[in-house]
Amino acid sequence: MSPLAQAPTRGAHLGAARVGIGGPVGSGKTALLERLIPRFRARGTNIAVITNDLVTREDAERVQRSGLIDPARVLAVETGACPHTAIREDPTLNLQAADALEAQFGPLDLILIESGGDNLASTFSLDLVDYWLFVIDTAGGDDIPRKKGLGIVQCDLLVINKVDLAPYVRVDVERMVREGGQVRRGRPILLTNCHSGEGVDAVVEHIAADVLFDR
Amino acid sequence: MLKIDHILGLATEPAIAEALHDLEHRGAVEYLVLSPADTQRHRLRALTDRGTECAIALPRAQQLANGAVLLLERSRAIVVRMSEVEWLALEPRDAAAALELGYCAGNMHWKVEFAGARLRIALQGPADTYLERLSQLMRDGRVTVERAGA
Repeated sequence: MSPLAQAPTRGAHLGAARVGIGGPVGSGKTALLERLIPRFRARGTNIAVITNDLVTREDAERVQRSGLIDPARVLAVETGACPHTAIREDPTLNLQAADALEAQFGPLDLILIESGGDNLASTFSLDLVDYWLFVIDTAGGDDIPRKKGLGIVQCDLLVINKVDLAPYVRVDVERMVREGGQVRRGRPILLTNCHSGEGVDAVVEHIAADVLFDR
Repeated sequence: MLKIDHILGLATEPAIAEALHDLEHRGAVEYLVLSPADTQRHRLRALTDRGTECAIALPRAQQLANGAVLLLERSRAIVVRMSEVEWLALEPRDAAAALELGYCAGNMHWKVEFAGARLRIALQGPADTYLERLSQLMRDGRVTVERAGA
């Protein structure tokens, strides 16, 4: 490796930051996506989205219809039976989708890659993403963090969504945060209500600070 | 915050090695210690051993590695040092236990290597987390821990 051969041209674009959003079905990943998109756009972040669905394009179509982003900037990956395979063992389809978005809409600052895991064990390959969130929700039960699913333990940022529902499902949010902090050994946890948008600004700040750097 | 947008080369390359040698004599080489998992990332923030905060954003074609040189100036250099992989070595009592252990490791998507009659798991977190998942196999002696960090 020659030092000079490796140096990019001054001002050359390095490629978008790639951020994964995983978590169980129904936890609010797509809702979070819909709250993140306008916030990043308002910051001037050039953004695109990939959604992973089993055998449909439902999540992609929902985001495309949302009016929040040019529909062409939203690509769907159909993962077949095992959604986690496409973000962990063999992320080729997602890598190709990200490359296609960068080629068509680049230079992009950020590509959000959403994938519904089928359990608490789904994780993202760091070959695919630079940083990843795992979204759980209060309605799933306050025992979820202490079950030590790989997604909860290993993600860069744990998001506990639907905090507004906690009183109705008799869930102790403070306990979720405390036990989540223990299994994650102090790594960050944020609370959100993606219906109202509460807490989403903090998610944006974390992503911006950790992988966008200049925004 | 120091922004790094490319890897200059490897510390073993003759021209770089010579410059680093000189800087090391002057105590001017900082090391950025990263886990094997973090070297897979193309963007991350991390502190060197002397507290310099680095914001790394690399082209997709480049990959962090042990010895990657991120900064090389007259007065200072920053070099990546990859932390060693910690291994948890497990020995199944018999073929039946080996089958169960293999199933468990695969089910958990652990990174492993085979070492004769032992299975070595590359730890990506505290060993306790792994041992908890193996508690049933270990409780009745079907699997024993040979040595951690071996």
